[in-house]
Amino acid sequence: MAPQDWMEAEKQGAVQHAFSPYTDNGGTSLAIAGEDFCLVAADTRQSEGYSINSRYAPKAYKFSNGAVLATSGMHADGHTLAKRLDQRLEWYEHNHGKKMSVGAMAQMLSTILYQKRFFPYYTFNILGGLDENGKGAIYTYDPVGSHEREGWRAAGSGGSLVQPFLDNQIGHKHQQSPQVPITLEKALKVAKDAFSGAAERDIYTGDMAELFIITKDGVHVEQYPLKRD
Amino acid sequence: MSIMQYNGGCLVGMKGKNCVAIASDRRFGVQALGLSTNFQRMFSVSNRLYYGLAGLGTDVQTLSEKFRMSVNMYKLKEERDIAPTTFASLVSSTLYERRFGPYFSEPVIVGLEKDDTPFICATDLIGCINFAKDFVVTGTSSEQLYGMCEALWEPDLEPEDLFETISQAMLNAVDRDALSGWGAVVHVITPTQVITRTLKGRMD
Repeated sequence: MAPQDWMEAEKQGAVQHAFSPYTDNGGTSLAIAGEDFCLVAADTRQSEGYSINSRYAPKAYKFSNGAVLATSGMHADGHTLAKRLDQRLEWYEHNHGKKMSVGAMAQMLSTILYQKRFFPYYTFNILGGLDENGKGAIYTYDPVGSHEREGWRAAGSGGSLVQPFLDNQIGHKHQQSPQVPITLEKALKVAKDAFSGAAERDIYTGDMAELFIITKDGVHVEQYPLKRD
Repeated sequence: MSIMQYNGGCLVGMKGKNCVAIASDRRFGVQALGLSTNFQRMFSVSNRLYYGLAGLGTDVQTLSEKFRMSVNMYKLKEERDIAPTTFASLVSSTLYERRFGPYFSEPVIVGLEKDDTPFICATDLIGCINFAKDFVVTGTSSEQLYGMCEALWEPDLEPEDLFETISQAMLNAVDRDALSGWGAVVHVITPTQVITRTLKGRMD
């Protein structure tokens, strides 16, 4: 508890102890939607308090329809959610005879999350893929399913560090830049710099970043090492 | 509700090549209600030493008046300007004096030493000094500022480039914090002059 919270602490009085079903495993994720590509990335460190549980526990999951989900928050809930989505994608393919589009999957994820409105999945999700016109698409979610389609987003423990940097470099905010769409090369550079910066100042971010590059030719994964301290 | 997030506001200080810069936003509010778009949270000690205070507004004002008094007394007794490191220690001891009932304010200090070496530091609300060699941040959007500075800063920036860097860091960071923004001011301090600029930013 920080010194600035000590004044409030006096007022609590008796403290009740209980089992909490949630834990925060930390980590940062981000996604950038381009004209004909989508970049989804997350670091691989899994922490609990001041301990590191794993230096390689990926929190971005690839799906059979070419979409990638980046989760942050509680690793167990993120992993289970990805399993559920895998199942639902398979059922959809068998029932409809085609792969689920990213837009349909986005809506479905929202309903899956809201179904647990009163015992939520403790995950801050970003879903990325290509829409039906081949353009990059990312959808961002809160833990209970509120979602919208955006051009770029950062989430997780380092999200507040990375988001303004993406606003500046991808969204050209506070800049007079020519209105050219972002290239994959630039997006990768920005993403890597963002992770490096987050790894410096956020203790929960580091070890390695996994970057998923989604194009019409499929999903390519790149690993980018980060500081291990 | 944290006392450090009652009024809002933020500061950033950066080191450059033979220069330093300090920037602040201008918002003053009471939780969600914004009240002022020209709240002063940066103050000058001399034309080579500036500091800023983020946190609870009343403590920003009280501390700036206390420091003005202390520095004036120093100048009368010592018959010279106060050095940046000395002023930092003055700030630190003034805050630690109130160790068990602190001022809810976290300062950022930037200046040029006697031999024109750039100096920056920040302290926490009870006076622990952080002597940084690159940049210092404080306030409700400190995390956003950390992210921007870590990405944009590089060593040995010239005054004009340092101005651009610190301005972009401030403007983009405060746009992701509801309690910061509503204008921004930047001071760039070089051995010969201080250039003060008011930034045009989002007023929401």
